[in-house]
Amino acid sequence: MFGAQVTALSPPSVDYTAMLPVLIVLGAAAVGVLLEAFVPRHLRWSVQVTVSLVALAGAGIALGAYVPGAPAQGVTTMVDTLAIDAPALFLWGTLLALSFVALLFIAERTVEPGGAFVSQAALRGAAGAGGSVSTREPETTGGRDGAAPADGARGMQTEIFPLTLFALGGMMTFVAANDLLTMFIALEVLSLPLYLMCGLARRRRLLSQESAVKYFLLGAFASAFFLYGLALLYGYAGSVRLGDIATAAAGSDRSDTLLFAGFGLLVVGLLFKGSVGPFHAWTPDVYQGAPTSVTGFMAACTKVAAFGAMLRVLYVGFEGVSWEWRGILWAVAIVSMAVGAVLGLTQRDVKRMIAYSSIAHAGFLVIGVMTLSDSGLAATMFYLLAYGFTTLAAFAVVSLVRDADGEATDLSSWAGLAKRSPLIAGVFTFLLLALAGIPLTSGFVGKFVVFSAALGEGLAPLVVLALVFSAVAAFYYLRVVVVMYFSEPAAGGASVTVPGAFTTVTIAAGTIVTLLLGIYPGFALEWAGAGGFAF
Amino acid sequence: MTPEYYLLLSALLFSIGAVGVLVRRNAIVVFMCIELMLNSVNLSLVTFARIEGTLDGQVMAFFVMVVAAAEVVVGLAIIMSIFRTRRSASIDDTNLLKY
Amino acid sequence: MIASSWLLVALPALGALVLLAGGKRTDGWGHLLGCATVIASFAYALALFTTLLGRQAADRSAEAHLFSWIPVGELQVDIALLIDPLSVTFALLITGVGAVIHVYSLGYMGDDPERRKFFAYMNLFVAAMLVLVLGNGFVSLYLGWEGVGLASYLLIGFWQYKPSAATAAKKAFVMNRVGDIGLAVAIFLMWKHIGGTSYAEVFAGIGDVPTDVALVIALLLLLGACGKSGQVPLQAWLPDAMEGPTPVSALIHAATMVTAGVYLIARANPIYNVTPTGQLVVTIIGAVTLLVGAIIGCAYDDIKKVLAYSTVSQIGYMMLAVGLGPFGYALAIMHLLTHGFFKAGLFLGAGSVMHGMNDEVDMRKFGGLYRKMPITFVTFGLGYLALIGFPFLSGYYSKDAIIDAAFGQGGWQGWVFGGAALLGAGITAFYMTRLMVLTFFGKQRWAELTDSEGREFHPHESGPVMTVPMMLLAVGSVGAGYFFVQGERLVHWLTPSLGELEHGAEPVLGHGTVVAATMTAVALGVVLAVLLVARPETPVERPARVSAVVQAARADLYGNALNEALFARPGIWLSRALVYVDNRGVDGVVNGLAAGLGGGSGRLRRLQTGFVRSYALSMLAGAGVLLGLLLMVRFV
Repeated sequence: MFGAQVTALSPPSVDYTAMLPVLIVLGAAAVGVLLEAFVPRHLRWSVQVTVSLVALAGAGIALGAYVPGAPAQGVTTMVDTLAIDAPALFLWGTLLALSFVALLFIAERTVEPGGAFVSQAALRGAAGAGGSVSTREPETTGGRDGAAPADGARGMQTEIFPLTLFALGGMMTFVAANDLLTMFIALEVLSLPLYLMCGLARRRRLLSQESAVKYFLLGAFASAFFLYGLALLYGYAGSVRLGDIATAAAGSDRSDTLLFAGFGLLVVGLLFKGSVGPFHAWTPDVYQGAPTSVTGFMAACTKVAAFGAMLRVLYVGFEGVSWEWRGILWAVAIVSMAVGAVLGLTQRDVKRMIAYSSIAHAGFLVIGVMTLSDSGLAATMFYLLAYGFTTLAAFAVVSLVRDADGEATDLSSWAGLAKRSPLIAGVFTFLLLALAGIPLTSGFVGKFVVFSAALGEGLAPLVVLALVFSAVAAFYYLRVVVVMYFSEPAAGGASVTVPGAFTTVTIAAGTIVTLLLGIYPGFALEWAGAGGFAF
Repeated sequence: MTPEYYLLLSALLFSIGAVGVLVRRNAIVVFMCIELMLNSVNLSLVTFARIEGTLDGQVMAFFVMVVAAAEVVVGLAIIMSIFRTRRSASIDDTNLLKY
Repeated sequence: MIASSWLLVALPALGALVLLAGGKRTDGWGHLLGCATVIASFAYALALFTTLLGRQAADRSAEAHLFSWIPVGELQVDIALLIDPLSVTFALLITGVGAVIHVYSLGYMGDDPERRKFFAYMNLFVAAMLVLVLGNGFVSLYLGWEGVGLASYLLIGFWQYKPSAATAAKKAFVMNRVGDIGLAVAIFLMWKHIGGTSYAEVFAGIGDVPTDVALVIALLLLLGACGKSGQVPLQAWLPDAMEGPTPVSALIHAATMVTAGVYLIARANPIYNVTPTGQLVVTIIGAVTLLVGAIIGCAYDDIKKVLAYSTVSQIGYMMLAVGLGPFGYALAIMHLLTHGFFKAGLFLGAGSVMHGMNDEVDMRKFGGLYRKMPITFVTFGLGYLALIGFPFLSGYYSKDAIIDAAFGQGGWQGWVFGGAALLGAGITAFYMTRLMVLTFFGKQRWAELTDSEGREFHPHESGPVMTVPMMLLAVGSVGAGYFFVQGERLVHWLTPSLGELEHGAEPVLGHGTVVAATMTAVALGVVLAVLLVARPETPVERPARVSAVVQAARADLYGNALNEALFARPGIWLSRALVYVDNRGVDGVVNGLAAGLGGGSGRLRRLQTGFVRSYALSMLAGAGVLLGLLLMVRFV
């Protein structure tokens, strides 16, 4: 990578066409920061939304233009730090599509008047200093008590848009990173904006800030593990490129302790991002506390990024030593499924419940990751696509069910919702069935392909356990359905806000994709199975 | 001079950092412990670079420093904002979200 | 044209979707949309039909591949439409009769508060039925099979506030399930032994499977057909299904859905061609059913129930015909088509009568209606003549051909099946004449009666939106048979789907003899009915003291009692025993497990303390265990 003779330094060759989607996203993020500084406040929302959406669409077009002519084996560029191969392109497409929909959801400002994000709560003045620490804090912007409107009291905190784009750029780099250092940088680029985004909620600021601080501290803790793993692997292989590590693992005179300790620490960092048990502890708290649109973005896209990177690390770097680590991932998958399914049973908060559901789904995904076969790779990526859209739409529905204090996420206020709003209740039921994996939804197809790939690799006991935990988890999905349809509406319960155009698009897109992939998964499966990793 | 001692020192520092995260209550101190963990990794990287005889590890250490600096910016912003609402920097006070 | 044939299904499906999802917003125009989609679908089917006509006979079979449903591993289920003469014939029948009945429903259901839902379900039915007949394999057939079952359930129970309707819907659903299981298991067996479920694969491979497996598949398919088509022993749900609105009875429970069983067996003819025993069982079921249906039909006073048993009996004829082998398939389809016309016409006529008579169904309260409802009388009368096989009307060609073919079997089978069919024709003439006489002729008994709510009867002719569809169907009842047999038109048309026509063994009776015998039987039936029913005064109340035969017929020939004794009672005992085991054993385990999981969940969630530091500890511990295990696996 860097020779000792500095004189030999020549500019690396860069395949700009292949990288164009990432460049567009990161470029638009940088432009967004400038816009934040120079565009007058009343224009910022519309300008930022336009720039972000145009950038995402442009990146999508660039990707679409590149894919048909892309070399089947993929290319590596930027001195082999990025591998733009078939899985990377599929995951980029997934990430761009999910982010586009998520960005619309984030930009919504009719459901929560003025948008869901503000930067500061401290301007509450006296009320803040002596105020009680309650979970349902009243609205904290200056507008209500007549003080000078704080930043964002009228409009929303539009920095959320460049932050989203930065996070997305990080995720796209993360899934294409061909060496661990790039992967680490990408991990930070995707994480840091997310930490901030979690803390921006307009309502229930204490919960929002708490989720931000928890996510940040634990996330930084996890990246320290990742980084230490990187260092040990560097010590083992003399390089951090995944291919070199694989070569070294096949025959090296260094101590295997370095290899396996490094691998373990690295995987801990990745499992943390994918909210896989036992590294899931942050997930329920952060999902519950963060603004719902951010939670949706995070749940859908971070999962794609984390598992995309995990696939690459395990397939490219550590396939040769799979005998040693497969057993450990067995345990991890079981713990994750068990935690997600069992702890979800007693949750009363809908967002928290979906968080536990995501932990259970992470367990299923780990099963797909550890198959190490072509069909397992395709199945896992299909699962990510399907799960992303379903969960995003589910959070969008959650954001609509509100009472006087904002979103009513407690299950008791959802009682009898079907009577007041049959359409939304029906859509949510459909999405929950998809999460449970009922046929004719993408969730079923996803589970089906992942489990059949796992069966093909002799993981039958794990598949049986997965089915058992699916059944356990189905209980809490169906409980929500029962509450919505068969309970009497509680007095003063929540009602469904009429969604603005943006949220409507989010819900519609998520639902349609969930249905479409359920009845016609062929094309997505085909694309997901288009090819393997480049080395 | 044996490079292995530096590796052991690095592991020791990493462990001290990790334990610090577990036992300290002040958010800033917890955060500093995490920074300690990152820096212990830097020590490892540089040592390995020395063993390898290449510069890669040293360059990586610079990357890590930059990332750590960015993390400080974000971290302090988050900790400051929660401090301003709660008037407390103890991370044990932030436990509304649980069970 | 063929590539876009999915439109045929998509149009009514879209109609159903819009009406169901649109909710009350579509109340104003939903019924019109419902009609329009079916009519458009009919137009499309006609176009498809002419396309096929324009081709050589050998090229009249085409597949329109839609997509691969589940392409994983060895299991490859493609969704494709099979466009061939048989499926297009059915598509024409379904959309044609469906369109007519949709229009009729505009009048019949005009005042119903749930009109939109009715049309949505009807559209759903048409779509599902088209999937059933157009699919290219048994899996898509099964999909449509379940779809029509659902639509049938919803429509029988359409007035679900009536307990009888709700019960009837449930009964239909449960009895259909029995048949559906047969069909499902048959498909599993095909997959296991042949390795495919599309018609092409199955028919190509059926010759290679052991004969006993082929027989089992044939019998299981027959079980499915019996459930859907109301054949003995699963016939009891069909008469009860008349609780649904009359257009439903006409479309679903007379013209189309109940003939799905006949379609299934005709479509699966290569399977039956290799198992003579299977064919024989089909014939026996058909013969028994046609007699049972006809005999019970004589005993009922409820006009719709008589027609329902008549349907059971006529489908028995079709079953008999398909059981006769290659010779019979085309005859069965022909009878199915003519029956579709005249039975739908008869039901619409009955609906028109009920519409004019405050929804009364008891024929003993009718009488002399021909003056009040001339159009209904004429159209109904033409349907009646067609059904009993009056010369040169539709039924004459189709039914007599089946009787002829039954005698054509040769040997004892010819005598038994031919005799049964002949006897059935006579009884059919009897009960239908009785129905005609009681309804349209004789004294106007309703003049001195009031309905159950105390209102007087004021019979009147229905409006044109109802009479025009009846007239259209009457035209079919009169002319369809002649049209089909001219130059063996239908038989030639269906040859690509059903195989070449082969004549069976030496007939036991000559053709002329059979025709003469049939005519005699029919005439006897009519005369007997006139003598027994028209001459004496008809009591308005049902006589209680009747002979044992009549009592047996009134009790559905103890069909329900038999079901009760053979299946329901033991079923109840079994389920009680199972409930006991379940409560004590299984529930104990399951509830214990659930309680354990719930309790575990309640305790474990306390671990989620909300303290960052404890989360960090859990991560560190997790990382420690993970590292320890990794190194242990490597070095120990």
